Amino acid sequence: MSKRIVIDPITRIEGHLRIDCEVDGGKVVNAWSSGQMWRGIELIVKDRDPREVWLFTQRFCGV
Amino acid sequence: MKDGFEGLPDLSGGPGERLLARGVSRRDFLKVCTGIAAAMGLPLGMGAQIAEAVTNPKRPPVIWLSAQECTGCTESLLRTNHPTLEKLILELISLDYHETLNAGAGKQCEEALKKSMQENKGKYILVVDGSIPVKDGGIYCKIGGKTVLSLLEEQGSQAAAVIAIGSCSSWGGMPSAYPNPTGATPVHAIFKEKGIKTPVVNIPGCPPNGYNFLSTVLYLLTFKKLPQLDEEGRPKFAYGRLIHDNCERRPHFDAGRFALEFGDDGHRKGYCLYKLGCKGPETYNNCPTLLYNDAGSQAWPVGTGHPCFGCSENKVGFNIPLHTPAVLKDVTPPVNFPGIVEDKGKGVTVAGAAIAAGVAGAAIGVAAATSKNLGKKDKDKGKSDPESKES
Repeated sequence: MSKRIVIDPITRIEGHLRIDCEVDGGKVVNAWSSGQMWRGIELIVKDRDPREVWLFTQRFCGV
Repeated sequence: MKDGFEGLPDLSGGPGERLLARGVSRRDFLKVCTGIAAAMGLPLGMGAQIAEAVTNPKRPPVIWLSAQECTGCTESLLRTNHPTLEKLILELISLDYHETLNAGAGKQCEEALKKSMQENKGKYILVVDGSIPVKDGGIYCKIGGKTVLSLLEEQGSQAAAVIAIGSCSSWGGMPSAYPNPTGATPVHAIFKEKGIKTPVVNIPGCPPNGYNFLSTVLYLLTFKKLPQLDEEGRPKFAYGRLIHDNCERRPHFDAGRFALEFGDDGHRKGYCLYKLGCKGPETYNNCPTLLYNDAGSQAWPVGTGHPCFGCSENKVGFNIPLHTPAVLKDVTPPVNFPGIVEDKGKGVTVAGAAIAAGVAGAAIGVAAATSKNLGKKDKDKGKSDPESKES
């Protein structure tokens, strides 16, 4: 019977990352990573004046 | 608004041994404290009082909640580039939980958070960066399987005070720009809706100046109350004046010398950026005087030749298009302002003051006309300028 391990939040990185691991007999048999935050910047920049889109996309990540 | 901080640990007395151990001399340390006192507009002697509060061995616990953020606020705070200060902040407070800086991950750090919240109930400072998504039950930002909306409610209601760092947590910021896909909401709005009474200080900016944040924290530590806030919940020492009022390019504005496009003659000469959409005239912040990252003079957006886009101002940054000219809140002093130096042997008379008041009233009209005329002058020079069409 496999066991699921969840590590959330993953620290020392920017953003909200979550890792799910499926462990069977001491071995990782499956794993998923998922971002836990969404701001919809794609929708915010849609139809915007291209000259100011950098303002928004620049803020994907401040690191 | 509650502004007493009975809950914070008693911070009287205590030597700065930790600082000495890190090679920070007493003289350097006092210089930093005095500088901070000056930046907040406090009297000279307050530097020593700040020094006393921050060298206390009992460090106040701080919990840092990250919502819809980009970590820019944390980065700007860490890169304040003041070698003693960046060490100081880690020595001064007990940062019990910070997703980006915690050494442990997952369960480990969630337990540290739980422990700190239980031990310091009602005593910790909660710092929030990032906006809180409320659409669809708040599913657009989760930590440890819980929505930040529920985490903010839980952590915010038990905190002594909340510092909303950055524009996102202060007024919604970039994620709240049209069409606000996730229902990004600032901290104070959530508190109002949920009836949480914890006081909130807003330190807007994208990112805010690290020193404005540090100064606010030190004020809380020293005086155990909030600094004076304006109606937007921002500390007055930092957000009391328009950028336009302290801008080093203001003389060019007053004289009608403008950059009309990037790279033109006026732009290269360092003229006023108003016509490129500079939002300095409607943005309250201390960028021109405090500057960024201790990098020397002109280390701020306008100093580098780019218009201010009003990142820290609610309903301006990310809301008004970048190249739309700002609305002028105050007026340029007209030539017929009463003289500052009185004639010999005469004081200000009641009649004189009344005349001056009348002139000032008329001046508003004159200045409105003047600002329209600015466009005309440029047209006369043969430059194309869409603004001048209106005048």
